[in-house]
Amino acid sequence: MSTEILIWLIPLPPLLAFFLILLFTRRNHAISHTLGVGAAALSWLIGMIVFFAAIGAEHLGEHPFTSSFGWLPLGDQVFSIGVLIDPLSTVTLFFVAWTVLMIFIYSIGYHNFGQPKGAHDVPGLPPHGAEEHGHHLPSVEPMYARFFAFIALFAFGMFTLVVSDNLLTLFVGWEIMGLCSYLLIGFWYAKPSARDAAVKAFMTTRVGDVFMLLGIVALYSATGTLNFREILYNHELLATLASTPSVIAGLSAAGLIGLLLFIGTIGKSAQWPLHVWLPDAMEGPTPVSAMIHAATMVSAGVYMVLRMFPLLSAGWVEGGALTPTMTAMAFIGAFTALFAATIALAQKDIKRVLAYSTISQLGYMVAALGIGAYVAAAFHLVTHAFFKALLFLGSGSVIHGMEHGVLHTGEHIDAQDMFNMGGLRDKMPITFWTFVIGGLALSGFPLITAGFWSKDEILADAFGNGHIIVFGTLALAALLTAFYTARQITLTFLGKARTKAAEHASESVRTMTLPLIVLAVFAIAAGWAGIPEHFPGIGGLLPNWFHDFVGGTLLEHPEAVAFNIVPLLTSLVVALGGLGLGFLVYRNAGQADPVRKPLGPIYTLLENKYYFDELYDAVFVRPAKRIAEGFSYMFIDRGVIDGFLHRVARAAYSLGGIFRNKFDAPVVNGFGDFTASLTQSFGRLLRRVQTGQVQQYLLFVALLAFGGLFYYLLNILR
Amino acid sequence: MDFINSHILSLILFSPLVGGLILLLVPGNKDLTRRLALALSLIPFVFTVIAWLGFGAAPEVDGFRYQEQVAWYPAINSSYHLGVDGLSLSMVLLTTLLSPLAILASFSVEERIRPYMALFLALETGMLGVFMSLDLLLFFVFWEVGLVPMYFLIDQWGSKTGERELWAGMKVPARRYASFKFMIYTMAGSLGLLLAIQMLGVVSGTFDLIAIFQSWPSLTGSLFGLDIGTVKAIAFWAFTIAFAIKVPVWPFHTWLPDAHTEAPTAGSMILAGVLLKLGAYGFLRLVLPLYPAEAQQYAPVLAILATAAIIFGAFSAYGQRDFKRLVAYSSVNHMGFVVLGIAAAAYAAGTQDATIALNGAVLQMFNHGISAAAMFFLVGVIYERTHTRDLEEWGGLFPLVPIFGGLLIFSSMSSLGLPGLNGFVSEFLVVRGAWPVFTVLTALSMLGLFFTGAYILKGIAKTLHGPLNEKWKGHLSEITRREVLVLAPLLVLMVWLGLWPAWLLSVINQAVATLFG
Amino acid sequence: MIPLSWYLYLAAGLFGLGLYGVLARKNAIAILMGVELMLNAVNINIVAFWRYLTPENMGGQVFAIMVFAVAAAEVAVGLALVISVYRRRKTVAADEINLMKW
Repeated sequence: MSTEILIWLIPLPPLLAFFLILLFTRRNHAISHTLGVGAAALSWLIGMIVFFAAIGAEHLGEHPFTSSFGWLPLGDQVFSIGVLIDPLSTVTLFFVAWTVLMIFIYSIGYHNFGQPKGAHDVPGLPPHGAEEHGHHLPSVEPMYARFFAFIALFAFGMFTLVVSDNLLTLFVGWEIMGLCSYLLIGFWYAKPSARDAAVKAFMTTRVGDVFMLLGIVALYSATGTLNFREILYNHELLATLASTPSVIAGLSAAGLIGLLLFIGTIGKSAQWPLHVWLPDAMEGPTPVSAMIHAATMVSAGVYMVLRMFPLLSAGWVEGGALTPTMTAMAFIGAFTALFAATIALAQKDIKRVLAYSTISQLGYMVAALGIGAYVAAAFHLVTHAFFKALLFLGSGSVIHGMEHGVLHTGEHIDAQDMFNMGGLRDKMPITFWTFVIGGLALSGFPLITAGFWSKDEILADAFGNGHIIVFGTLALAALLTAFYTARQITLTFLGKARTKAAEHASESVRTMTLPLIVLAVFAIAAGWAGIPEHFPGIGGLLPNWFHDFVGGTLLEHPEAVAFNIVPLLTSLVVALGGLGLGFLVYRNAGQADPVRKPLGPIYTLLENKYYFDELYDAVFVRPAKRIAEGFSYMFIDRGVIDGFLHRVARAAYSLGGIFRNKFDAPVVNGFGDFTASLTQSFGRLLRRVQTGQVQQYLLFVALLAFGGLFYYLLNILR
Repeated sequence: MDFINSHILSLILFSPLVGGLILLLVPGNKDLTRRLALALSLIPFVFTVIAWLGFGAAPEVDGFRYQEQVAWYPAINSSYHLGVDGLSLSMVLLTTLLSPLAILASFSVEERIRPYMALFLALETGMLGVFMSLDLLLFFVFWEVGLVPMYFLIDQWGSKTGERELWAGMKVPARRYASFKFMIYTMAGSLGLLLAIQMLGVVSGTFDLIAIFQSWPSLTGSLFGLDIGTVKAIAFWAFTIAFAIKVPVWPFHTWLPDAHTEAPTAGSMILAGVLLKLGAYGFLRLVLPLYPAEAQQYAPVLAILATAAIIFGAFSAYGQRDFKRLVAYSSVNHMGFVVLGIAAAAYAAGTQDATIALNGAVLQMFNHGISAAAMFFLVGVIYERTHTRDLEEWGGLFPLVPIFGGLLIFSSMSSLGLPGLNGFVSEFLVVRGAWPVFTVLTALSMLGLFFTGAYILKGIAKTLHGPLNEKWKGHLSEITRREVLVLAPLLVLMVWLGLWPAWLLSVINQAVATLFG
Repeated sequence: MIPLSWYLYLAAGLFGLGLYGVLARKNAIAILMGVELMLNAVNINIVAFWRYLTPENMGGQVFAIMVFAVAAAEVAVGLALVISVYRRRKTVAADEINLMKW
């Protein structure tokens, strides 16, 4: 089988699994998860075959694997869709396939496969636990099969997005993931919080999506195609787009399209100001969080801008001034990186910290792209996917362990609150060590973790190209990142247990720990693929494979930035400093946050996420509801339009009344009635004659006869 | 076989009417009547499938296939002239497909089913006639024929509760109000339509559409002392208003939510599924080909109104507590895209943008027919069980009715225009076609697209999600096999058209290319 | 010989008496009797005209006999009606029998 056909096959197994589970096997847990995991494994296998075929291919950037067919006949043209594997999609496919498979396996344990059914469990709510022989046991998820169906569809969306050769099918995958995130965040739909979070996620990302749709149609209108190769590998086309002015002053057509597409990314990758949905998405089960945050959804946003980078940067020459679109990206990315990191400092929920950290890290990537650091952004995308999936799954394992403790002790505490944890290191050793690896990678712990290499490359690029503001912001964000990571690890795993539940926490089952171990390996090893050539000491031991390979995606291979000691030192200092500081501050923390007092109102501000939810609610959500109910429906439709119609109806009604009362009744009816009544009264008059007295009649007859006779006689006589 | 081939359109057209008469005459109990009605309504569908399959091979004369012509009113040169192109055939397919489904959906109707089913079949003939007529007088006759059964269906079998206050002290039952509004509104449009048709007939000496198409540009003469240009302009506006009411174009749309809400379930399915398409079809069949210049001149106005429909339709849908009314407003929203596509095509006639916009508009007509029918049916299913349409009365029903819930989410996603399902393809094409033509308006319409998501999710969230409203526990039964059977073809089409729209689009595209290329 | 006119005067007087009886009397029997008088007045006229004007023609006598027959039949039917009315209404007064109006 040729590689091209294999690429087509990558997204199909999960889609098939989705339909099979929903239609046939939803009552059987074992078959359902076998189908789900089997589909993920099959996609993974095909993905790996394609991956190795791709990295073995010569000049993949110039001669990617493609295959397409006509989809929509439009006039005398045909719109084609197809698949494309070039270096960028190769590396994306690699991390997606791995993380997806791990998440699928993890889900089996996370949803308590093999445990008894809970007596009080209902679909739509998290399982409450079961009781068997007097022991409290976790109970299996009531909608176990459905979960696998949904994540299978999610995986289908992501694989579709990755292998697409055009923006339209990319958008299809993009939106299917949006739907799945809606379904999965609202998985426990009976909880109002989950339901609202699901709607919020869908609607917030939809803001970006409609702009992205506009970007797509604008691009299609301008170029007549949506195929990546035809647009992005066409120098003249890009140059034309970059020099054509758009409807918005000061922006070229390419700039406008790029900006519209980028707004899609803002929504999907939860960049400021559309970041609000992502922390709430924690309402979903943990594998979902990992899916959304690491492997798929948010990565999709960055993947798309990476994919469209030649268009976004059209008109920009390496080292030259940034285009407006790129400036916007750099600004939003850098700002988000810092902004989200500050919020993460004051969160209690173990998953929410990670959620904000995700937003912050995605900001890194966007900022990196904004300053033109294409390869660095892609590199960070890959490494981040691994270590963030690891962290999310790790946090899920922690919560699972805590829930076990809660069940055991019967304490009513929040199993996700880090201040209820502590000392889990000994109870959950595998989770602890893998979490530490993930945390260090996130903080950019020097040399051994993947996060260091990718983050360092971004900082180096920012510094090397003279974007000092971006560099400073990102460095500060990196410091905060290391700080809250240390806070998280210290609060969760180190020290002593703060609650009884934490004392009775236990290590998770093997289906959950195995994915952690695999991901931990990648959280370290993924960085080795991209060690800069001139790095002191170890540079050049391994070739900087990642840069050469992914750089080949672009028409003009980007130059690796020259080595400079300043960014290296900076990343060393911020990583180690942040980690150390975090450890010191939270080493002896009780159930209250020790920095709450010193920070004062700032802490409250951070804890409440700068009040963005409240702001949006007041500025957008409630006015929209009021416009919908009060203005659009009650005022315009019911009031103005129907009011007008009713007035017309009333006018017609009264006009009819006038006709009836002033003309019909008196004149037309009057004439008819008059004729009738005249006849009647005449008859009434004649009636008097008819008395019933025979003799009277006879008298008349006689009189008439005599009268006639006399008349006759008189006539004769005359 | 020869007879079938040469009279296929007449067979499709009159088999429902004849079926309705048979139904009235054949005795039998309720169950038999229902089954018979379903069987009879499948006949035109079978004929349509035959026509669809043989479409490519049928001889084409002046752009239309399967033509039939019989003298009718020779004195005024009006004949019984039928014929279809890809545009009308896709609408015929939609009609004959939805009618059996609507009849199957009506199996739960208990009172006076014989006249009910007969009216439905008569309605089908009326709608089909509009799509097939190649003679203006015939067109008008069928246009009106479709009106009457619908009036009775709403008025007699519509929702029993509710009333509307026209003005202080003047209250009427809701279904009477709705049926009356529907009738009067459409009649108001028909009036102009008849006038326009008469004018065209008199000045061109024939009512035959193909003949008019050919003689139209070089037409000279006058009518009542008006020169030909004025006559054309009057006819243009009469046509436009008649079709705008039927689509409906904002702000002529308020009959729609009332009629859809009060109609019986199957009536809403047909109303949204087919009747709204008559207006859009009129634009495509008569206004654009006859009045390219005027259409181009006034296309911006039409586009503004379409955008208003998209935005306000979405907003009003979002503002509803009544689920059925919410779905009804979604029709305003979706039909707005059809009109936007038509307006864009009128403005940029002859360009690739126009072709794409028109393809999108026609496909959107078809897609909306499918998804709106499914949505109305699902609302009807839950209404039959709970006897309420108030969103606030439900909540958390998903565990009680998981299959219904799944189907509702699926259909909602189609209505929302989720990529991978049917609605997206057509919306994308319309937006793509309209963007270069009306950039700002298209951008504004995205606001409507955004709120499409809002109201769809509101519907799902208030019905299925959230804490269970305990009063329905044990009182809500799962969707039945018959009801799933109604939905199944629609769901299959949603996926099929989402993944492989070319089977339909190629037929539409051919017609669009011939008509406007 | 007595001139014809005398007979005619007699017949007119008799007719007048009969008419008066029919119009003025309340009793139905008396009315019938009045009718008989009038018929006989006619008979006198018929016979008188026959004798004075066309004695060779038997038509006058035949007519007179016809009138007798009719009179007899009329009295038979009339009296039967009167008796029937009397049985029902216990009266034979003509002004009380006034059902024949609208």
